[in-house]
Amino acid sequence: MKRKSQDCKSRLPDNSAMKQQQLPAFRLQLSANEILSGFFATGVFCLGMGVILLLSAKSIREIEINYTEKCASCAKLREDATNFDKECNCSVSFYLPQKMEGNVYLYYKLYGFYQNLYRYILSRSNIQLVGTDVKDVRNCAPFKTSDEGLPIAPCGAIANSLFNDTFVLLYNFNSSTQIKVPMVRTATAWWTDKYVKFQNPTYQNLSHAFEGTAKPPNWPKPVYELDEEDPRNNGFINDDFIVWMRTAAFPTFKKLHRRLHRIDSFTEGLPAGSYSFIINYNFPVSKFQGQKALVLSTLTWSGGSSLFLGLAYLVTGAVTLLAFFSMMAVHLKLKERKTFFLQ
Amino acid sequence: MSRTCSLLWGLSDVEEKMGLRQSLQGADVPQARTIYLNEPLRNTFCENSISTAKYSKWSFLPRYLYLQFSKTANAFFLFITVLQQIPDVSPTGKYTTLVPLLVILVISGIKEIVEDYKRHMADKLVNSKNTIVLRQNAWQMILWKEVNVGDIVKATNGQFLPADMVLISSSEPQATCFVATSNLDGETNLKIRQALSETAAMKTEKQLSSLSGKIKCEGPNFHFNSFVGTLYLNSESPISIGPDQILLRGTQLKNTEWILGIVVYTGFETKFMQNAVKSPLKRSKVEKVTNMQILVLFLLLLVMSLVSCVGAILWRDRYRAEPWYIGKKDYDYHSFGFDLLVFIILYHNLIPISLLVTLEIVKYIQALFINWDEDMHFKGSNVCAMARTSNLNEELGQVEYLFSDKTGTLTCNIMTFKKCSVAGIMYGQSPCSISDSYEFNDPALLQNFENDHPTREYIKEFLTLLCVCHTVFPEREGNNISYQASSPDEAALVKGAKKLGFVFTARMPNSVTIEAMGEELTFEILNVLEFSSNRKRMSIIVRTPEGQLRLYCKGADSVIYERLSENSLFVEETLVHLENFAKEGLRTLCVAYTDLTEIEYEQWLVMYKKASTVVQDRIQSLEDCYDRIEQKFLLLGATAIEDRLQARVPETITSLLKANIKIWVLTGDKQETAINIAYSCKLLSGEMPRIQLNANSLEATQQMINQNCQDLGALLGKENDLALIVDGKTLKYALHVEVKKSFLNLALSCRTVLCCRLSPLQKAEIVDVVKKQVKAITLAIGDGANDVGMIQTAHVGVGISGNEGMLATNNSDYAIAQFSYLEKLLLVHGTWNYFRVTKCILYCFYKNVVLYIIELWFAIVNGFSGQIIFERWCISLYNVIFTSLPPFTLGIFERCCSQESLLRYPQLYRISQTGDIFNIKVLWIQSINAIVHSFILFWLPAKMLEHDMVSQGGYTTDYLFLGNFIYTYVVVTVCLKAGLETLSWNKFTHFAIWGSIMIWLGFFAVYSSLWPTVAVAPEMTGQVNMALMCPHFWLGFFIVPIVCLIQNVAWKSIRNTCHRTLLEDVREMESSGVQVLRRDSARRWLETQDAPEVQAHGARAGGPGAARGEARRGRAGRSSARWEGVGVRAGCSPPLTQSRRILPVREANATPDAPPVECGTPGHPDLGGDGVTGFERVGARTDAGATRALEARHRPSLPLCTPLQPQVSRSAAGGYGERRRRSKLAAVLRGDAQLGLLETNSRRTRLLRVWKFPDSSGGQPASSAGVSTHTMRSGPQGRLSPGAQLWVFACEERAGPRTHLLADP
Repeated sequence: MKRKSQDCKSRLPDNSAMKQQQLPAFRLQLSANEILSGFFATGVFCLGMGVILLLSAKSIREIEINYTEKCASCAKLREDATNFDKECNCSVSFYLPQKMEGNVYLYYKLYGFYQNLYRYILSRSNIQLVGTDVKDVRNCAPFKTSDEGLPIAPCGAIANSLFNDTFVLLYNFNSSTQIKVPMVRTATAWWTDKYVKFQNPTYQNLSHAFEGTAKPPNWPKPVYELDEEDPRNNGFINDDFIVWMRTAAFPTFKKLHRRLHRIDSFTEGLPAGSYSFIINYNFPVSKFQGQKALVLSTLTWSGGSSLFLGLAYLVTGAVTLLAFFSMMAVHLKLKERKTFFLQ
Repeated sequence: MSRTCSLLWGLSDVEEKMGLRQSLQGADVPQARTIYLNEPLRNTFCENSISTAKYSKWSFLPRYLYLQFSKTANAFFLFITVLQQIPDVSPTGKYTTLVPLLVILVISGIKEIVEDYKRHMADKLVNSKNTIVLRQNAWQMILWKEVNVGDIVKATNGQFLPADMVLISSSEPQATCFVATSNLDGETNLKIRQALSETAAMKTEKQLSSLSGKIKCEGPNFHFNSFVGTLYLNSESPISIGPDQILLRGTQLKNTEWILGIVVYTGFETKFMQNAVKSPLKRSKVEKVTNMQILVLFLLLLVMSLVSCVGAILWRDRYRAEPWYIGKKDYDYHSFGFDLLVFIILYHNLIPISLLVTLEIVKYIQALFINWDEDMHFKGSNVCAMARTSNLNEELGQVEYLFSDKTGTLTCNIMTFKKCSVAGIMYGQSPCSISDSYEFNDPALLQNFENDHPTREYIKEFLTLLCVCHTVFPEREGNNISYQASSPDEAALVKGAKKLGFVFTARMPNSVTIEAMGEELTFEILNVLEFSSNRKRMSIIVRTPEGQLRLYCKGADSVIYERLSENSLFVEETLVHLENFAKEGLRTLCVAYTDLTEIEYEQWLVMYKKASTVVQDRIQSLEDCYDRIEQKFLLLGATAIEDRLQARVPETITSLLKANIKIWVLTGDKQETAINIAYSCKLLSGEMPRIQLNANSLEATQQMINQNCQDLGALLGKENDLALIVDGKTLKYALHVEVKKSFLNLALSCRTVLCCRLSPLQKAEIVDVVKKQVKAITLAIGDGANDVGMIQTAHVGVGISGNEGMLATNNSDYAIAQFSYLEKLLLVHGTWNYFRVTKCILYCFYKNVVLYIIELWFAIVNGFSGQIIFERWCISLYNVIFTSLPPFTLGIFERCCSQESLLRYPQLYRISQTGDIFNIKVLWIQSINAIVHSFILFWLPAKMLEHDMVSQGGYTTDYLFLGNFIYTYVVVTVCLKAGLETLSWNKFTHFAIWGSIMIWLGFFAVYSSLWPTVAVAPEMTGQVNMALMCPHFWLGFFIVPIVCLIQNVAWKSIRNTCHRTLLEDVREMESSGVQVLRRDSARRWLETQDAPEVQAHGARAGGPGAARGEARRGRAGRSSARWEGVGVRAGCSPPLTQSRRILPVREANATPDAPPVECGTPGHPDLGGDGVTGFERVGARTDAGATRALEARHRPSLPLCTPLQPQVSRSAAGGYGERRRRSKLAAVLRGDAQLGLLETNSRRTRLLRVWKFPDSSGGQPASSAGVSTHTMRSGPQGRLSPGAQLWVFACEERAGPRTHLLADP
C-alpha cells in the first residue's frame, strides 16, 4: 500500500563512501624497516630514560631507621591496651655518613599494616570530615558511637587507628651539644585534602563544634586538641590526621610526617654526622607482627627514589634492543625473500 | 477480542524462540466456520484491526524486560544487582551494576521502541483506511478496523481490499473482476475472479439486505490458492465456493468498476496476515561459541572467587584474628559463603556487560551495509539486497555447503519458446549450435502446415492446443495483445503460438477466442483441470467450434506418457526429441488430447460436481476425479522452453568453488536439464567423472552406493573431482536409515552434487541431513515456494526476489535479486562481518579480563579483603563509556582487506570459513594475553609507587592514586590494543581510540573535582591534580603500554614472517600502491554488458549470433583473466558506442570516443621497472611474480586467457616511489589504437589525455606484423589532484579496452 510511492523512485542506494564502505582508511601495515626502526628507537629511548632515572635515583640520599627492635620494651608495654596512658620514650641514634642536601623529608614507615583492607577503608565518614555534619557516622562501623552512645568524631577505623608516635630529631653538633633539628609539621598533606576534602565545622570555637561527639576510643585526646598551637592545623584539618586518612595501597607504606625547616645550620640540608631520634612510642604494631621505621630522604625532579622505574626502563630498553637485533638478523637472512614484518 | 488477537500475534515471536510454533501449527487444525448472512454475528471472530507491533503501550515494559532478562547475561547482571543490595556485601556500592545495566537496557529499549513505533504507524495507517459497507440497509463509509465478518463490502477500482471476502457480484459482465496480487505473492499479472452465477445478480441494497442464508467455510489458513466453502442460500441447494470467488486482503482491484463481497476472514485470520509469519529464529555459530565463552568466563569468575576465599582464610589464619585496627566486634559473621558473594561481586565484571548490546548494534549496522550495497542493487527490478535478520551476518563468512535451487535461482525464469516436436518431427534450430535468437523461428513448421504436409492436422491441433489449453489472460492495448500469466511457461507457449499465427485473442469466463491463421474460432470451455505440482499437468475440456467435446492436456512427459492410449503415434520419436531438448537444458512439456463422448462427459460431470462440494479434502477428491477423465491421450508432440542462465552465474559459481564452498544443486527439474544447466554454469566440466544414481528399490540403491564407495576406496571422505547425480526416487531410498551413512560419505566425497526431481520436502531433508552430518555451515538459496523448506532448514537462508512470488523472500534471512550477488554477499560481506564480529567479541573479552583481573592481583596485597583498587563508578563506566567505542569501530569499520581482493582471491574466504580465528583456543590465547597484560599493568605501577613518595613535594599517596595510575594505563593500553587489532584505520577509528583516552582523562579531571559540591566520589578529590603533576605518572604512561604491547607487536611480526598466510600476502600486495578503480563503476559496466539490450548493439558487429558469442566469451574471459600475469585484463569487448555511458564523463573535454574504464580488477602492473631496488618498498616484488607465487602457494589455478599484450610500462627512470610528472610511456599496440591517460581518485574519474595513432599496420588482421610501438614523451597536462591514481588505457577497435594502472602520482 505504501509501496506505490517507493516504486516510483529508484531504490538505488546512496553512492556515498560511508554507505558503500569505501571510507578512506589508513592501513596499519608496517614494513620491516618501519618495524625495525620502531624497535630500535623504543629500545634506545628506554635505555636512555633508564640511565637518566637511575642516575637521578642515585643522587637521592635516604636513610631508614627501623626502631621496632630498638624500642622493644615500649612495644611490649603497648601490647597491653590497659597501659594506654603510660608514656614510653625511647631513643635511637644513627649516623649520617654524607650530608643530605636540599629539602629533607621525614617519613614514618609501617610494615605489615593493612590500610587497604576493605572494611578498614570503608570505615570512615567523608561527610563528617568535610565538616557539614559532624554527627554523620553512617559508614563508620565498628567505630560509630562511643560506649555512651555519642557519635565518634572522627569516626571509623581509619581515624581510630591514627599513627600517634611522636619524634624529636636531635643533631649531635659536637660531642656535647645536641641541637633539635627544626621540623615543619604542616604542608605535608595534599592541597585538596587540606582545603577541600577536610573541613572543620564552622564554629567560633572548635571545641564547641565537636560538642556532643566522642573522641575515638584509641585517641588520648579529642580531635580539637590535635594541635592547639596552630588553629589551621587543628581538628579535621590537622596535617598528620589528613595524611593518615589517605589509606595506603600496600601493607608496607610510608607517610610524610615532617619537613626539615631549613634555617640556621640546616639551610643547606642535613649535615653529615650523628643524630638521634627521641621517640614517644604510642602506636602498637607488635600485635600484628608489624614493624615501624623512620625514613629521612631527599627528592629529585621525579620525586622519591625510584630505582625500580629506572630499572624497568633499562630492562625494557635492553629487551627491545635484543629483539631488534634478533629480528634484524632474521631479516637480513631473509632479505632476498623480502619478508616484511607486521601484518 | 482484538486485544487477544494482537496479544497472540505479539507472542508469536516468543513462541518461535521456544520452538512452539511448529508444533502448534501441526496440532492445531483450524475449525471450520459458519457465517450467517445479514444476521448479527453468532460467533466472535477476530476484529479487522491489525497490530504487527511487538509491544503495546502497556505491554511494553513487562514484555521487554521479560525478553531481556531471558538472556543469560542480562539475568546474571540482574542477579549481581540484587546481590549488591545486601548490606555490606558489595565492595563496589549498590548501584554500580544497576546503572550500566540500565544504560544498556535503555539503549536496546530505544532501538526496540523505534522499530516498534514504525510498525505501529504502519498499522495505524492501514487500520484507518476507509471502505464502504452495507449497514442498516444503506452503504456506509467506515474504517477498515471496523469491518466485521459477514459484512457486505463494496470496493471500487484501484482500492485495496480490507479483508478476505467472497465475491457476490461485480460491475462487469458475468460478475468477473480483476485483482493485482503482487502484495501477496509478488506475481505481477492480474488475476481474474468470478462470482457464482447464483449471486451475480445481487447488486442493489435491497437485494443484498434481503439476502439470507449462510456460508460454511474452512478455518483461517495461510494458503493463498486454496479456499473451500459452501454457500447455503435459503431454499436452494448448496453451492460450492472455490478460490475463484475469493478476494484476499491486500490485493488491489483493477480494471473493474466495483465489486461486492461478503467478508469471511478478518484481521489476523486473513490469508495475507497468516502468511506474514517470521521465519524461525536462527543463531549463528559465532553466537554459540560466544555463549560458550561467557560460560568459560563465568567458571573463571567462580575459580577466582574461590581462590580469593581460600586466600582470605589463609590470611586470617596468619593473623590469627582480625588486627586490632579493624575493630572486630561487629564482624563475626565472616563466613565462607559471605566472602564468596563479595568476591563474585568484585570480579563479576569479567563478563562483558556491554557485549550483547554492542553486538546487537554492530550487527544492525552491518545489515544496513548489506542493504545499502550498490553492487547488490538490481536495476532490472529496482530491488536492493535485504538483510531480514541481522544475527547471521557473520555466518555468511563461514558457509561451506551451498544448496541452490535451479529454476529462477541459477536461471532467469524468463521462458522463451525455443523448439517443438510435432507428430514426430522436430522443429526449431539445429541442435548443434546454441541458438542466439530469442524465439522459435523455424519456418519449416509453417511451411509444412501450409503445404499440406501429412502432419498438417497434427500441427493445427498442436498450435490450437497451445492457444487454448492454458490460464493466460490477454490484455489488449490497441492492436497489441499482451498476456498476463501466472506461469511463465504458459505465457511463453501462448506467445510462441501467436508468432506462428495462432493468436489467442480473448478470454470469456466460459470461452476462449483464437485467431487461427486469420480465422476466428471460439472454444467453449467446459472445465479447467488446474495445474498442481502434484499432478504436473493441466487439462482443459472444451467444445470445439465444430461441436466436438475435447480434452486438451499439457504436462510433464512422465505423467503424459502414463496416460497415452495404445493408438497414440510418434511415441518413440517424441521421446528421443524430449531427450534431446533436455540435453540442451530446455524445459519440456508434452501435449496431448483426447476426444470425449457426450455420455462419458456427463458421467464425469456428476462425479466432478460431487467432488467439488466436499468440504474436507476437496483437493484430493478433485484430483482423483480429474484423473478419471485424463485417460487415453493421443500424443501431439512436445514443446521446449529455454530458461536462460542469470547474468554472471558461471563466474559466481567458479568463484564460490574457489572459495571452497561446495555447491549442491537441488531441483525439481529433469535430470538431463539439470545436468545441462550444471554444465553451462561451470559446475560440471567435460572431463569430470560422473556418478549417476538411478535405482528403483532400496536394495538397488544400497548396492549402487556401496559399489561406488568401494570404487573410491581410499579417496572416500576426501574431496574429489567428481560429480554425483541423484534423482528424487533414488534419494528417497538413499536417505533411509541404513543407507544414509554411506550415501553421505559418497556425496561428501564429490565436488558437485546434483539432485533432480526433488519434492520441496526432500530438499529440506537433504539440507537437514548434511547440516547434521558434517556440522558445517549450510546455505540454501532459492526463489520459489518449493524452496521455503530448505531455506528455513539451512543455517542461512537466502531468497531470490524473482518472478515466483515473495514466499521464499519472506522466509529467508537475506533476500537478494540475483544469484550473482551471492558472491559479494558471501565473499565480501560475509568475510568482513566475520572478521568484524569475531574481533569485536575477542576484544570485548580481552578488555574486561585486563581490567578485572587486576582486582585479583590487588587482592593478593590487601589480604583478600575484597577491596577494589579503582573508584567504583570508574569500574562500571569502563564498559559503558571509556572503552565502548573501539569495539564499535572494530565491529563496523574493520576491513581485513579490500573488497576487490576478496573478490579476486576467493581463497581468502577460507580463513573465515574454517573459523580458525575464533574458537575456544583463540579465546584462551587472548585471555592469557589479557592476563599477562593485567599482570604488567598492575605490578609495574605497583612497584613504581611502592615507595609512596613520588610527587615532587614529597607527598605520600593512597591506594586510589595507584588505582588511577593503573586505570589510566589500562584505558591507554586497551585502546592502543584495539588500534593494533584494527587493520584499517578510518576517521572513526581514530576518534574511538584517541577519543576514548581523552574522554577518560577529561572524566578523570571533572570527576576529581566534584566532591563536596556534588555528593559523589569523595575518594577521588584532588586525584587528578596529583596524578597529572606527578612525573612518575607520565614516566609510567610511556613505559607501561609499551611493555604490554611490544610483545604483541613482536609476536605479530614473528608470526607474519615465519608463518605467513594468504591474507598477509594479499594485504601486502594491496598496500604496494596498487589500487583499483572503484568497483561500482566497474560493476555497472558489467551489468550493461550482460543486459539484453546490449546484444542489440551486437548486430553491428556481425549478426546477433556473433554478438552473443562475443558477450559470452567476454564473460568467460573476465573470470579467467583475473590471473593473467602482467595484470592486463582482456576480453571485455563492449561496442565503443556504449562507452560514454560507462565512463563518468564530467569533464567537458572528454572525447566522445573515450573508451570505458575497465572492470574493477586490473592485476598488478609491473611497476618495478629495472631501476628499482626492491628491498625498501613493499611493492618491490614484481607483480607477475607475486601473482604466480601466490598461485603456487595457495592453489593452482588457470591462466587460460591469452589476451593481446599491450605493454605499458614506465621507463627505468621513473621507478615507483619517484614522484615524477614526466615519464615515458611505451605501448605495443595493434591496429588503429588509442592510448589514454586517466586519473582517478575516490570520487571521480577524469580523462587527462588521449593519444591517437594512425593504423600503421595498414589494417592487417591481428598478427605480429601489425604490432607497432608507440612512445610518448609527455606527461599529463594540468595538475593532478592529490591521492589520485594514474591509469593508462589502451583501446583498440578489435580488442576492446584495457586499463592499466600506471602509478601513484
